[in-house]
Amino acid sequence: MAALIRNLGVRIASAALTAKHVVPAGTAAFRMQSTAPVDAKAAEKPTVRKPDAAARSSLSDFGRYVAECLPKYVQKVQLTSGDELEVLIAPEGVVPVLQFLKDHHQAQFTNLVDIAGVDVPCRKYRFEVVYNILSLRYNARIRVKTYTDELTPLDSACEVHKAANWYEREIWDMYGVFFANHPDLRRILTDYGFEGHPQRRDFPLSGYVELRYDDEKKRVVCEPLELAQEFRKFDLSAPWEQFPNFRNANPPAEEVQPAKAAAGAKK
Amino acid sequence: MAGREAVKRAVQQVRPILSVDREEARKRALNLYKAWYRQIPYIVMDYDIPMSIEQCRSKLREEFVKHRQVTDIRVIDMLVIKGQMELKETVEIWKQKGHIMRYWKESQDPKPTDFLSKFIQGVN
Repeated sequence: MAALIRNLGVRIASAALTAKHVVPAGTAAFRMQSTAPVDAKAAEKPTVRKPDAAARSSLSDFGRYVAECLPKYVQKVQLTSGDELEVLIAPEGVVPVLQFLKDHHQAQFTNLVDIAGVDVPCRKYRFEVVYNILSLRYNARIRVKTYTDELTPLDSACEVHKAANWYEREIWDMYGVFFANHPDLRRILTDYGFEGHPQRRDFPLSGYVELRYDDEKKRVVCEPLELAQEFRKFDLSAPWEQFPNFRNANPPAEEVQPAKAAAGAKK
Repeated sequence: MAGREAVKRAVQQVRPILSVDREEARKRALNLYKAWYRQIPYIVMDYDIPMSIEQCRSKLREEFVKHRQVTDIRVIDMLVIKGQMELKETVEIWKQKGHIMRYWKESQDPKPTDFLSKFIQGVN
């Protein structure tokens, strides 16, 4: 933005050098810019964010480059909601891929923003683990996704990003994904003695146990849950369309073709 | 040859959690049992629970025997890991008295088994 204003200033200054009627022309230019009727098509759906075409192309180029550099681990590269790059990797490649993205001079994804878990029980590998990383140097964010099941351990990213420590403990606690080589893997959110992993889809919303203070025993006791009425399942889907603005929104995910296929498609 | 192929396909190659064979998993489970067994006097003393050491040891045995039918090495490893974490929580006194007493489920009435008590409680 600042660059734009500077540019404009330079243009006005150069106009001042050439033309005599300087000030009116300059003001006219400004007024034209600020009061010009906005293009009707562009303002049609201001709530839907348009993906930035430049960011799109640079991110897909970067994704292609990562896929070429790490063909052993990268299984798929995709863009979600227009301009967010996702690198889908094999579970054994967590440490090498994150290390590459951290140390490569053209990437420098040195900041681990978050690690998230997703549970989809119908899949063979039901858990997805998502690493959100940020490159402060290039002001870019990408997502690294991998998969696992209840019993397959993932490698801990602690040796690459120190921030992974608590995030991985959180994933362990909520989903029961085991992280090998984690320096201090233990519960972080649930109470001591809590059984189960509450964010799994098969864990009921009401839980299995309830706690109360027992006046006779003078301590908190734990009992199986007793609900006065059966837990209700509400059908929350409405008969009308909820977000018509998003009917033609960006596709949820589009695959970035590898370089050879992309070149072939162009020819 | 075809048989071997079928076996290969049936036996899925998986990454081990800790142990690579049954014997190792068994040793880990036994070590965990021994560690708990040796810590029980200190647990009873530290938490001041109204249980004797013998009662605690029988409860420990019960908790281990509960999983005796588990044969999958990875499941055994996962249980051992969880037991290890629980032992650490107990020994470091991160837990409280109520957490320890939770193992005995004192405030829960056992489920009725014979007809008359089922009828009285209104359970079918």
